[in-house]
Amino acid sequence: MSGNPLDKRYAVLGAMLIAPTVLIFCAVIVYPLVSALYLSLFTIFTPTLRGSFIGLGNYAYLVNSPEFWRSLWNTLLWTVCTLTLQIVFGVAAALMLHQNIVFRSLARSLILFPYFVSTVVAVLVWRWLFNDLYGVMNHLMLMAGLIKMPLDWLGSMPNAMISIILVGAWKYFPFVVIAVLARLQTIPDALYEAAKIDGAGAWSRFVDITLPQLRDVLVVVVLLRAIWDFKEFDLIYLLTGGGPIIATQTLPLMVYKDAFGLNDMGRASAVAVSMMLVMLSFMVLYLKLAGRGERESQP
Amino acid sequence: MSKTVSQSGHGVSRRAVLAGMGAAGSMAAAGTMPTPATAQTVTLRWWSPQTAPAQREAYNFQIQTFEAANPGVKVNFEATSDEGYPAQMAAAFASGQVPNVVTHLPSFAVSSYWQNGLLEPFNDVINMIGPQNFFEGANRIYEVTPGQFAGTGIGGSAANMMWLRSDLMREAGLTTPRTWDQLRAACQRLQRAPVFGAPLPYARNSMTSLIFITFVHGAGGSIFTPDLQVNVENDAFRNALEFYKSMREFCPPGATNYSWGDSLTAFVSGATATGIYTGRVLANVAQQNPRIADFISCQPYPTISTSVPHWTFNDFPSVMIPKGAPNLDVTKRFAAHLFRADGYIRQLHAAPGHVLPVLKTVYESAAYQENALIKKYAADVQIMSQQASAGHNLGWETVRHKPNTKAGQIVASHVFAEAVQRYVGANEPMAQVVSGVARRLEELMRA
Repeated sequence: MSGNPLDKRYAVLGAMLIAPTVLIFCAVIVYPLVSALYLSLFTIFTPTLRGSFIGLGNYAYLVNSPEFWRSLWNTLLWTVCTLTLQIVFGVAAALMLHQNIVFRSLARSLILFPYFVSTVVAVLVWRWLFNDLYGVMNHLMLMAGLIKMPLDWLGSMPNAMISIILVGAWKYFPFVVIAVLARLQTIPDALYEAAKIDGAGAWSRFVDITLPQLRDVLVVVVLLRAIWDFKEFDLIYLLTGGGPIIATQTLPLMVYKDAFGLNDMGRASAVAVSMMLVMLSFMVLYLKLAGRGERESQP
Repeated sequence: MSKTVSQSGHGVSRRAVLAGMGAAGSMAAAGTMPTPATAQTVTLRWWSPQTAPAQREAYNFQIQTFEAANPGVKVNFEATSDEGYPAQMAAAFASGQVPNVVTHLPSFAVSSYWQNGLLEPFNDVINMIGPQNFFEGANRIYEVTPGQFAGTGIGGSAANMMWLRSDLMREAGLTTPRTWDQLRAACQRLQRAPVFGAPLPYARNSMTSLIFITFVHGAGGSIFTPDLQVNVENDAFRNALEFYKSMREFCPPGATNYSWGDSLTAFVSGATATGIYTGRVLANVAQQNPRIADFISCQPYPTISTSVPHWTFNDFPSVMIPKGAPNLDVTKRFAAHLFRADGYIRQLHAAPGHVLPVLKTVYESAAYQENALIKKYAADVQIMSQQASAGHNLGWETVRHKPNTKAGQIVASHVFAEAVQRYVGANEPMAQVVSGVARRLEELMRA
C-alpha cells in the first residue's frame, strides 16, 4: 500500500492541509510555552532581554520564597471563593430568569451588564463605592448606625480579600447565568410534571432534576471560570495592587512585579510556568473527578 | 465550466484570479508594483504619564507648532502612567518598538535605562536648548557618565510640600508646624469630624515609598550611604517609621489604599486639614473647590527637629530619547522644541506650580509670571521652586551621593511601602521590619 503513488499524494495533501493549523498552533501555543520554559532557566533583565543561564535557580528561589507560597495561597483562596459565589449567584439568577416573570427579557439583558462592562470602568466604580470619604457603602452604613467610622474596605485584611472576591463574583457571575440559562431552556417540562405527579417538592425537583441536568454545563463552566479566575490580573491589580503588604497578591501580580517592577523576566517566567503546572494539576484532578462522578451517576 | 467572479461579459476563472493575486503579491513583495506617489512622512511618537486635559492641550500646541515648522513630520502623543510606565518601557525596549521621546519620567528611571545602554546621549539636545539657559546644576543628576547626559529635566517638582488651611489653622490658634511634634499636635487640634488631620498614604504603592523616603531624610538619615551601601539599621530609619505610625490616627481609614490622586483629592475637597503634594493643589482647588482658594498655602514638610534641614523630594521630571528611536535628527529637534518658550510656558501653565521650570530664562520671563494662579500664589510658587531646586530623590539622595541606578527597581519592589504596612498596619516588631528592609535592599542592590 505504501508504494501506491496515489496514497503518497493523499498523504502529502493531508499534510499540506493540516500544516496551517499545526503552524498556527505552534506559533500561538508551543512557541510561547517553550519560550517561557526557556526564559525561566535564565536571569534576564527585562528591557534588554539579556541575561545568563542559571539552570533551575529561579525555581529553587521560588521553593524557598515565602512570597511565592503566600501568593499561591492567595490565588487559590481567591479562585475558590469567587468561583463558588459566581456559581451560586449564577445558578440562582438563571433559575429566576427562567421563570415567567414580568420584564423577563429586559432583566435577562440587564443582568449581563457587569460582564460586558470593562474591568477598568467596573473597578473605578467599585473604588468609589468603597471610598472611605465619599463612598456610598460607608455613607449608608454610617446613616444606618451600623458603623461609627468609615470601613477600610480595600486597605486592611480581611476586608481587602473579601472585597475583591465579591467584586469578582459580581463581575463574572453573568457568564454562569448565560450558560446555565441556555441549558435550563432545554430541560424537558415532562420531567418536572412527572416529578410533581410523584409528589416531589420544589427543592426535590431542583436537586433531583435540575442539578443533574445542569451537570455537564456546570463542569465546563467551572473549568473555564477556574482557569480565567486563576489567572485574573487587572481586577485585583486595580482594586488593591496586591496589598495590604502581599495579602491579596496573587501569582499573576507576582509575575507582573517580577517582570516589570524588578525587571527580572527569568524569575517572572518561572512563576508563570509554576502557575501553569499548578493549574494543570488541578484541572486534571478536576476532570478525573468529574468523569468518575459521571460514570457513577449512570445507571 | 468554472464559475466567474466578473459580472461583465468577460468571465475570469477563479484560478485566474488566484494566479493574478499571487502574481500581484509577488510583485508587491519585490517592490515592482507601481504605487501612487506620496509625500514622505516621518512619524514621531511621544510618551508621557502627565496627561491632565490642560496639559494635553499644551502638548497639542507644541506638536502643532513643530509640525508646522517641519513639513512632512507628524507627532503622535501616547499616554503612559506613573505606575504603569516600567512595564510599557520594558515592553518597548524588549520589542525594539521604542517611542522617539519620553517625558516626565523620574530621573532615576532615566539613569537606570542609561546604565543599561538603552538611551541616546542627550548632549546635542541640551546644546540646542542652550546649557546657559538652565538653572545652575539642573542637569547634574542626568550626568551619570561624566561628560555625557542621559537626558534632561523638563521641569522640577516639590512632591512633599505640606499644604495648610489657614482658616482652620487660625480658628485653632495654630502657627505653621516646623517639627514632627508640632505637626502631630496641629493635626490633633485640626481633626474634627468630618475633617481629618492629614492624607498620608499607607498603601502598597510608589507614593507610600516616596513619602517614607522623605521621612527618613526628615529624621536626618538616608537610605544609602554616599557610596551606596544600605543604611537603614539606625535611629533615623526607626524614627521615620515611628512618625509614620503616629500619624495614622490623623488620616482617613481608606488611606491604606491612597495614591497621589486620592491624597490630593482628600486635601482639595476639604476632607483633610493638611495635605502633602506638589503645586497641582493650586489648579485643582481653583477648579474643584474655589471656596478654600483664599485659605491654602504651602511650606516645606516638617522634620524631626529644627536642626534637621528640610528634604524635598524632586522626581526631576525628565526628557529622554530611547536608543534605537528612528529619525534621530528630527527626534532631537523635537525634544529641543519642547523647551521653546511659547509651548514650554503653556505646558507649565497647564498645572501651575506642579511642574516648575528648569530654564531660568523662562522662570524670569514675564510670560511665565503672567498667570493668574502663579500671581495669586507667588510666595508659594517661590517656596516650591526653591525647594525643588534643592531637591533630591532616591536616585540621588544628597549632593554627596553617587547616582543610584537601582532606585527605580527599589521603588517598584514596594520594599518601603511594605515596611510601612508591616509596622503600621500589621504591628510587626520594629526590629523585624527594619532587618527585613535591609535584607531586601541588599538583594536588590546585588541583583
